Amino acid sequence: MSRFVLSLFGGLALGLAAGLYLGWVQFPVEYVNSPAPNLAQQYKDDYTIMIAKGFLVDGDLPGAVSRINMLRVDNVPEYVQNTTERYITNSRALDDIYALIALSEAMGRLTPLMQEYREIIAPEGGSEGGAG
Amino acid sequence: MTDLAEQKPAVPDRRARRSRAERRARTQERRQRHAQMTAQSTTPESPAPARVEERPARREARIASRYDRPRTVISYPVAVFGIIVGIVGGLFLAWNVAPTEEFDTVPRQLGGNERAQYVVAVMLAYQYDGDFNRALNELVALNLGADPIQAVADIACDLASTGYAATTSGQNAIRSLIDFYQPQGRTGCATDLIPAAIAQASPVIEVTVSTPTLRPPASKTPTPVGTPVTISTLPGVVPGEETDEPFLRQPTPAFTRQFSIVQIDTYCRLESSGLIEVRVRDSGGEELPAQPVRVRWDQGESIFYTGLHPDRGLGYADFQMEAGVRYTIDMPSLSDAFTQTLDAAPCATNTGDTAVTSYIVWFRANA
Repeated sequence: MSRFVLSLFGGLALGLAAGLYLGWVQFPVEYVNSPAPNLAQQYKDDYTIMIAKGFLVDGDLPGAVSRINMLRVDNVPEYVQNTTERYITNSRALDDIYALIALSEAMGRLTPLMQEYREIIAPEGGSEGGAG
Repeated sequence: MTDLAEQKPAVPDRRARRSRAERRARTQERRQRHAQMTAQSTTPESPAPARVEERPARREARIASRYDRPRTVISYPVAVFGIIVGIVGGLFLAWNVAPTEEFDTVPRQLGGNERAQYVVAVMLAYQYDGDFNRALNELVALNLGADPIQAVADIACDLASTGYAATTSGQNAIRSLIDFYQPQGRTGCATDLIPAAIAQASPVIEVTVSTPTLRPPASKTPTPVGTPVTISTLPGVVPGEETDEPFLRQPTPAFTRQFSIVQIDTYCRLESSGLIEVRVRDSGGEELPAQPVRVRWDQGESIFYTGLHPDRGLGYADFQMEAGVRYTIDMPSLSDAFTQTLDAAPCATNTGDTAVTSYIVWFRANA
């Protein structure tokens, strides 16, 4: 009898471990209809840069702010500033940094770090395309 | 009584002991016989007479071996059963009871509205860099279906049909979508809903109209007679041609003003349930009559004018909402739409009754 009990519980333990591994690691639940704040940081950054580039085209600051609001950040200018400074610190693509600086500047957040960078990368002495 | 009760269990014990001893004796006997049989079968001499008695002996030997076989510690069938049940249980736990926490979501997992916003962002970036391949890759990653470009057209159509198109920002965004899908030969209703003329500066010409019979607004302002009016034409529309929507506007002073929403208050009262009250004032705080106010919702829109309830003030107008519907409000051509919706949501009054939330929207002319 103990042989059967041992086999059953041993098998159950092994199976449970395998099932949890499969369910949590190998094939975890994939959520749909997720809210934007749950986006991975990489995609939040991508989204912000796309909005910043759109802002360079149309100069629509309220539109840019309302679009970034989709990420439900507490303070949009501060969020853009932080993203911009992180991009500068990590030496990301100049094009992205330029767009972010323009948006951050339009939101009144031109920090010394951005100022220095802006002078280096901004074409012909400043932001353009509605950044102001 | 006590003695009898104490003696009772002794009987089965003795029986059990006896039967165990019998079993042991029988097993020993069988083993001996089996050993003998094995010895006989391996002896080369006199094979013929042994064969006659071999069959029952072998059978007994086989039976004996079943009991003699050494047992494994694990019962494999039971263990396999346990593993299967364990895997099923583990998957149930991992998927239903304690699923992994949601983090690091990818854009394709976003809900419909937010995915549409992400598409808008992709299109805005496309307008900036004109990199079609990048934009297309982003759309494919969003898992929009077999034809992501047509999906963009559909999203543009959805956005154009809602209050999203009420703002200039929204219109510009929809236009960026149209600029992407139209050259690719896709079509969508946004092309009709957001005419190209909106984003372009409409040429304005001045003509003299002899009869002022053109769409008099519900206004308390005296209608001017024979005065020049401003006609805003869309490209391709010849001035004077009859259209369903003539672009003629009365040149009241208010049209030269731009208005902003300065405040929105809510209240909950049974007698004015679900009412949008609008107050339009100039920069000095004076109430302005005859000002158009537009309310939009999913299925349509309504334009009404201030000053129709002089008892409530010259700059007053109201609109009755339907419960459960969301509205956006603006002054057409005079203000940007309020980016948040006014929800006709249920609320509880002070007396505990249920009503629909009402709003007071304050427009003020920019100085």
